Amino acid sequence: MRPWPVVLLLLLAVARGQEPPPDTAITVSSPGSGPRNVEGKHGKIWSGVIMATNVTTPRETPVELREFLPRLKRIFGYNDFELVGSETETIDELTENWLVPTPVFPLSVTARPAPSKEARGGYLLNLKIFQGKRHLVDTEVKLAPGSPLFIRGPLYGKGQLIIVLQVQH
Amino acid sequence: MKPFEEQFTAWVDGKLTGADLAEFEKQLAEHPEAAAERDDARELGKFLRGHPTAPPLANPDFFNHQLQQRIAAETPRPVEKKRPFFWSVPGLAWAGAFCLTVSLVLYKTTIPAVPPTARARSDYYAQIVEIWSKSPNVTASTVYSPEDDATVIWLDGLDYIPANYALKQ
Repeated sequence: MRPWPVVLLLLLAVARGQEPPPDTAITVSSPGSGPRNVEGKHGKIWSGVIMATNVTTPRETPVELREFLPRLKRIFGYNDFELVGSETETIDELTENWLVPTPVFPLSVTARPAPSKEARGGYLLNLKIFQGKRHLVDTEVKLAPGSPLFIRGPLYGKGQLIIVLQVQH
Repeated sequence: MKPFEEQFTAWVDGKLTGADLAEFEKQLAEHPEAAAERDDARELGKFLRGHPTAPPLANPDFFNHQLQQRIAAETPRPVEKKRPFFWSVPGLAWAGAFCLTVSLVLYKTTIPAVPPTARARSDYYAQIVEIWSKSPNVTASTVYSPEDDATVIWLDGLDYIPANYALKQ
């Protein structure tokens, strides 16, 4: 038996093994439109609203915030962080997506893939920030996985509200 | 002294004379068959001299052509050289498998394993392309902290939220 067909099959099998598994259909919720089905390969945006305060005995940081903790402490100067709410939304490109980590801060996101190579599969976002129904800011942001965007919100009680946005794959 | 065979040839041809002839004929006494051999040789010489040349050819060119064709037909053809193994399909398949193996080994041995979080926090960071305030009292500015690899949208002019305000509605 000639060995080369076996070798070719092995090469094909190895090449298939290097490909990422295809994404399955993901069901996500969207304010006002009910559940929808997003097919194909899509990234996700994680959004969270954090209440930052200074206390004598800081509580244990929630798991979702641990990767941001050193940065949050240095940038905002607080030592205690509580995750008030969070939401992960699958990015439906060129369609307005609503992120509602808490009803107080709804965020409207329209995303398209960032063209630059160094963006590593990141997105160019048109982001609208609301406080309740009050439209605060429009912005255009480039986000990539591992490069979060922090938004310094209003003062709350004895602390500060902070919104975090991060692209995930 | 000349060898016997040489002297015999000269004797057959009648070229021995004088003392040489006498000396040789003494030796011939020991070879009684020599006289018969000389007669045969002289007969043959006479016959060859009687048929000095080959008969002339009527079509010498045609004869040469036929001869050459016959020589060409009877000469074994050189065996066609086999294609080298490397450029054959199995050779290329083996070369591909070898390269793949080498690249996998190099990848595993030379590229250090980086934890996903560390890999994600590389040289790319969130960038604010543009930002507009949509509320009269709100101002927005952008802060980038290189040491923290963090980008912050700093919103000023937002209303204070009292601690008793329910963020999780």
